[in-house]
Amino acid sequence: MSERNLLVGPFNRVEGDLELRLEVDAGQVRAAYANSPLFRGFERMMIGKDPRDALTITPRICGICSISQSAAAAIALADAAGVRPTPEGEKVAALLHAVENLADHVTHFNLFFMPDFAKPGYAGRDWFDAAVARFTAGKGSSLRRAIDARAQLLHIVGLLGGKWPHTLAIQPGGVTRAPSARDLIRIGTSLRAFRRYLEEQLFGAPLEAFLSLGTGDQAANWTTGDAGFFMTIAADLDLQALGRGRGRYMSFGAYPMRDGPLFAPGLWRDGARHDIDHAAIAEDLSHAWMLGETAHPTRAETLPDAAMSGPAYSWCKAPRLAGETVEVGALARQILDGHPLALSLAEEGSVRARILGRLLEIARSQLVLEELLSSINPAGKFMDQVTIPHDGTGVGLVEAARGSLGHWLRIEDGKIASYQIIAPTTWNFSPRDSAGIPGPVEGSLVGAAVGDDEDTPLSVQHIVRSYDPCMVCTVH
Amino acid sequence: MSEIETFYDVMRRQGITRRSFMKYCSLTAAALGLSPSFVPKIAHAMENKPRTPVIWVHGLECTCCSESFIRSAHPLAKDVVLSMISLDYDDTLMAAAGHQAEAALQDTIEKYKGNYILAVEGNPPLNEDGMYCIVGGKPFVDQLKHAAEHAKAVISWGACASYGCVQAAKPNPTRATPVHKVITDKPIIKVPGCPPIAEVMTGVITYMLTFDRLPELDRQGRPAMFYSQRIHDKCYRRPHFDAGQFVEQWDDENARKGYCLYKMGCKGPTTYNACSTVRWNEGVSFPIQSGHGCIGCSEDGFWDQGSFYDRVTDLTQFGVEANADKVGMTAAGVVGAGVAAHAAISALKAAQRKSQKEEA
Repeated sequence: MSERNLLVGPFNRVEGDLELRLEVDAGQVRAAYANSPLFRGFERMMIGKDPRDALTITPRICGICSISQSAAAAIALADAAGVRPTPEGEKVAALLHAVENLADHVTHFNLFFMPDFAKPGYAGRDWFDAAVARFTAGKGSSLRRAIDARAQLLHIVGLLGGKWPHTLAIQPGGVTRAPSARDLIRIGTSLRAFRRYLEEQLFGAPLEAFLSLGTGDQAANWTTGDAGFFMTIAADLDLQALGRGRGRYMSFGAYPMRDGPLFAPGLWRDGARHDIDHAAIAEDLSHAWMLGETAHPTRAETLPDAAMSGPAYSWCKAPRLAGETVEVGALARQILDGHPLALSLAEEGSVRARILGRLLEIARSQLVLEELLSSINPAGKFMDQVTIPHDGTGVGLVEAARGSLGHWLRIEDGKIASYQIIAPTTWNFSPRDSAGIPGPVEGSLVGAAVGDDEDTPLSVQHIVRSYDPCMVCTVH
Repeated sequence: MSEIETFYDVMRRQGITRRSFMKYCSLTAAALGLSPSFVPKIAHAMENKPRTPVIWVHGLECTCCSESFIRSAHPLAKDVVLSMISLDYDDTLMAAAGHQAEAALQDTIEKYKGNYILAVEGNPPLNEDGMYCIVGGKPFVDQLKHAAEHAKAVISWGACASYGCVQAAKPNPTRATPVHKVITDKPIIKVPGCPPIAEVMTGVITYMLTFDRLPELDRQGRPAMFYSQRIHDKCYRRPHFDAGQFVEQWDDENARKGYCLYKMGCKGPTTYNACSTVRWNEGVSFPIQSGHGCIGCSEDGFWDQGSFYDRVTDLTQFGVEANADKVGMTAAGVVGAGVAAHAAISALKAAQRKSQKEEA
């Protein structure tokens, strides 16, 4: 077995551009380097603008998770103004956000992740023909059903937000659209249709049955729907051993409400839940093409190093929590919210665990949406007028589909003086830090099997896609 | 070209029924503003012409255009159009990865030299020799020029490719540059919007595939069929504008009544797009209907015109007195548009006077 270097990219079926450099030895990845080759400079162009413009500009960082960006910007502005959205506004904002996250998960599973199993490299496996019929990119039967269901689901955003992507409805004081009783009925119809898709196609059983699974072993016996099909493949390919993480997870907590977020925040470390020390977040620039020192986002700058000098190899900064990497995403969120199935997968932290975490969150999000809808009072107030202060600071921490998203804002003289963003994939796909510690994905890739004839190894693709990277958000 | 299938072949292979196919032809005719007599022509063209290969590339962007596109109204439109284009090359949705993907692009260029349409989502950054957007180890601008060299025509999807969009906002850190400033020797169709409406995207593609020619373009290079009228012209809240009934504060009584959002910074009066007629997410709604003003995302420079919540009179692009004729001319080819614009501007001035009086 020989040593060789592989350059894998452009990576398809991930949002945005990604390039991996792999050092392969004896048929295994020995070291991995993740490069985010796209830089636009949003943080720099925010400076000097009217703070409210963050509501329009930051969502355009990403066409897949634009509501997450919009929610984070709105919360940061509200924080700067020292207010909260009205309770009803908060519910509609959560509804909009949860619909987007749910749609993203369904898109990821069907369009980005599963099509890899329909590739010729798996010809001859018992499940291969079914994988081709159901998940061939662009035309598989499951995939088409999912695209339809997702389009229907996003009608809710259309109705409440006017359009999707790049919805404008979420504001610091609430939402611009006060839904009428008739709107609520239409949303209910859309949600019922989506539940039907989930129960007929994705899970092949009532959601409540899937949610009663308490361990990874029980999940392994799940046979129905596309979820069951994935479990069959996962068992055959031993995906519970592939792409394991470090067992540290973080969630900022999803869908803020008056009595706390619907999915709880926290840090999972050494097998237990802790509070997050937000002051200990810092972005390390040692391996990013960025100038400046490691700093907390309230003090950080974004100065690209046009010379692209080494040892840096990515535009992505390396965020660390108290000097450590953390994994973020659906699995992290469900672990920190304490769902038994997610807790049982925390140590495994594999490709299988990440996909199961996402499936679990799909089922739970549907219930969250149904409950939110029934709690909205159309006679309530959906938005307060908010005056943005002339000077001040604000933080907006939310959970996007792919994990923890933060906006840190400083206003001086009525204009934005500093705007820093750490996106979920910035955490997951970060490059090495000054201590040489690889980012979460870089770490997960070590040990992945690479066939002698493979130049874009399947195992590597499964691991990368299991994180559901959003590369345009990563660097922004 | 004989080995290339027809559209109808592609559809049949996708298991689409004849009935559904005819429905698609009718809807397309309607979306393109053609009379029902065009339906058989569209059907005939799609049954007999070889499909046009499309290569879809991504530069500096957020993928919102693709996201919008895969959500178009008639399921057939997205199935067919999507299958036709993703058959050839599309970064985000295709099956291949890595070197295979690059090879697929090269194959497509070779195979359909001079016959394919290049669809561009996003734009190339030119600073530092294009190093801010690298595809396959090379600057995106190189891929773009390479793919454009043998293209029949170029579609600039969205505000990024058409005008630069938010990444070109001051100080434009990467010198993000619209496609037409880099590709100067090909016909370019701009389909602006952030993102463009799905039905507009499929409409433009279907028109080109069906009639084998570019749609009629306005002076800015946008398809006149979708961009010849202002949001304001067909806005369902227009009667409130004319009556001087405005939302004064978010979620006030007037907001609940659906009054005009002009005072909340709505850019509908200066924005050419089909949002107020075609609407979004399968005709469900559009931003003004959700209670937020239009931000003018299909207009050049919308990202750098002062705050999105400033009143439209502050737009440098649109001096109310001086540019009335210019506005009329932008809508060239549409009978009466100039007149309508004048009328609207008069109303706008009246509204402005009214608000100034109130403030005074």
